Amino acid sequence: MSSRTAVKEQQAPVTETATQRGTLRPVEKRTLTIAVAGNPNAGKSTLINAIAGSRLHVGNWPGVTVEKKEASFDYEGTRIRLVDLPGTYSLSPYTQEEIIARDYLVDERPDLILNVVDSTNLERNLYLTVQLMELGIPVVMALNIYDEAQSKGYRIDVAGMEKMLGIKVIPTSATKKSGLDQLLITAVATMEDLSAHVPHQLNYGEDIETATDFMAGILHHSHPALLERYPKRWLLLKLVEGDSNVRQTTNLNDEAQLGEALQHLKRAHGEDLEAVLAEVRYSLATGLTREVLQKPELPKTEITEKIDRIVLHRVFGIPIFLGAMWIMFKLTFDLSKPFADWIGAMISGPFKHWAEALLGLIHAPDWTVSLVTDGVIAGTGNVLVFVPMIFAMMFFITFLEGSGYMARAAFVMDRAMHSIGLHGKSFIPMLLGFGCNVPAIYATRTLENPRDKALTALLVPLMSCGARLPVYVVFIGAFFPTRGGTVLWSLYVMGILLAIMMGFIFKKTLFRGDAPMFIMELPPYRVPSLKSLMIHTWEKGKHFLVKAGTYILAVSIMVWFLLNLPWGVEHKRDSYLGQVGAVVAPALAPLGFGNWEASSSLIAGLVAKEIVVGTMGEIYVKKEAEKVAQKPTFIEDLQETGSGLAKAFREAGTNISSTFGISSISADEDAAKTAERSPLREELKKQFTPLAAYAFLVFVLLYMPCVVAAAAMVHEFGTWKWYGVAFGYQMVLAWSAAAIIYQGGRLLGLGG
Amino acid sequence: MKMGISDLIIAAVILSGACYLLYHSLWKKKGHCCGSGCDGCSKK
Repeated sequence: MSSRTAVKEQQAPVTETATQRGTLRPVEKRTLTIAVAGNPNAGKSTLINAIAGSRLHVGNWPGVTVEKKEASFDYEGTRIRLVDLPGTYSLSPYTQEEIIARDYLVDERPDLILNVVDSTNLERNLYLTVQLMELGIPVVMALNIYDEAQSKGYRIDVAGMEKMLGIKVIPTSATKKSGLDQLLITAVATMEDLSAHVPHQLNYGEDIETATDFMAGILHHSHPALLERYPKRWLLLKLVEGDSNVRQTTNLNDEAQLGEALQHLKRAHGEDLEAVLAEVRYSLATGLTREVLQKPELPKTEITEKIDRIVLHRVFGIPIFLGAMWIMFKLTFDLSKPFADWIGAMISGPFKHWAEALLGLIHAPDWTVSLVTDGVIAGTGNVLVFVPMIFAMMFFITFLEGSGYMARAAFVMDRAMHSIGLHGKSFIPMLLGFGCNVPAIYATRTLENPRDKALTALLVPLMSCGARLPVYVVFIGAFFPTRGGTVLWSLYVMGILLAIMMGFIFKKTLFRGDAPMFIMELPPYRVPSLKSLMIHTWEKGKHFLVKAGTYILAVSIMVWFLLNLPWGVEHKRDSYLGQVGAVVAPALAPLGFGNWEASSSLIAGLVAKEIVVGTMGEIYVKKEAEKVAQKPTFIEDLQETGSGLAKAFREAGTNISSTFGISSISADEDAAKTAERSPLREELKKQFTPLAAYAFLVFVLLYMPCVVAAAAMVHEFGTWKWYGVAFGYQMVLAWSAAAIIYQGGRLLGLGG
Repeated sequence: MKMGISDLIIAAVILSGACYLLYHSLWKKKGHCCGSGCDGCSKK
């Protein structure tokens, strides 16, 4: 933002002046802590990203932010710390997001609350605003998504809102970055003159107001420290509501401590005083909305409703979801395969030659040349090959998230999820699992009760994460080149179906009980901006690059040693890894891949699933130097790199334009050339039959969660118990499913 | 092929580095996950 640039320019003279005066004390900067609070999907993270230039995860569905996050920047000589709170509809203590947001606001006492309100859903958003105003912290409202409200023909009386609420209201559009400067100016101005920005207090009626006054008097004498520690009005209202968390924290469990006032209220209004207060707040939100909002008289059927009539259809909803997934995988495969082939050719060709030449220059021992080419390059390189596919898939997943379709997917799956004792909201962490299981496990904290959390976390590893993609793609390229998208789709769908089946079994055994009620907000459809898509695709995909440079590299090195120890071993089968693989191999024989190579790769893949491919690359690698009589020159390698990239672009363009003509180009190409470009695929064809290859893919899909997912489960639940359950059931499920596919396929005459 | 002392030293250094990288990236950095439960990824 221009304002930030201006700040830096203004700061320099100030420092200079101070130095000239001989002041040794550094120039102190004020720090203003602003808590950003609002309903889910009101655009809080987008707003922070737009203001601070940060990259908090955003998505067009509720519950993207599940814990508070921060971004800091300088503005007009003030250090501003923005704290992004999870989206909440209220400050009640029922969901983890509400508890996190509430605890922060009450305990940490930020300098200011920036209440982000969705202008297109004013009434619902104002319910939270009323509660925020009770905290005794200055509030500034960002009337966000204002551009969309205007395009719908909504007219909002901003000045009227300010007058009625007693807070500053600034129309903003985070996606278009409008109103943000004004918002910051107002926030700083509010802090400079607090007395002029005191929020109005909602009057809850004579009975309740009298009771709170009476209770305040009692607490003033009996518990003065509590009135110091907590916002007074908020504390009194929570005690009236009977908020169990507050009563427990304040040790005011006994209503008698609060005097006769509370008993009187209950006699007059019934036991459920929380409902009484909620009703007053809703009335205010409704009344205020009626006063300040003018909607067009005859609203047209909105585009969102038109689309929803189709995609949320009772019968067609699930087929449409499955179709959308199929298209996503098809496009992923078509778009990225030529680039993956190009990277593969570069790694096994020029990069390998250059590494050998470099090591030769420094007179490195022969075995280190083998370590680099057959270990690091074959291991890590075989994972890097699939980076284009991972990025393509993350791009499409980000698009679906940003468009609002993911929330619909959860909605259409609600009925299926109910059959396993969960609700559609549990499907959201599972959908996140398509990217990476680890954030998906953390996302289970959006669920209300521990039972739902544990059950969902157990099912998340069945969602096929991006790490499994390299394994699928290398086998699909070898065995199913013309039906790649469909085979890929079948694996993802199998993951979902088995998750539903396992959920059903768990419901009957470990998690007995009724499915909770589910109310899911369906956000309007939006076209995500290209910039936002690119940023979030990068944020999701870079994780795989970092992995390749860290623990996949480390495991590749270890696997090379394990394949070459005892030192001087003639055949890899006799190496330490080969021996362990050979011990495990008989257990995998009924699945069609009872060879030591496959089992060794699966063992190495326990660290991360991509490592299965990396290890196979190391095991099956051939000594190119012995086969190739004359190596290409550096110039020839460079020419190959350039022409290969140009060809990849052409093929990607052709694949996309001819849509559904997947991989035909590669399939038609000269077999010898393919073998040269993809040595691993050619070796796999000798070791596996197509049926055994599919069984292997199913096993990779289902067998135990990687160690990072294990750490996430232990971190999230504080116990190894659920990881133990996941490990056990997934191993059994993986073996059984692969055995059924392989043995069943053989019986059906599909090969052996 | 036999390993000399210098080979052993180089191998030990490389393996130690790999072990450290594995420990650091898996346990210290929690697998570099960009999930909500990780620090660092989302902070500016």
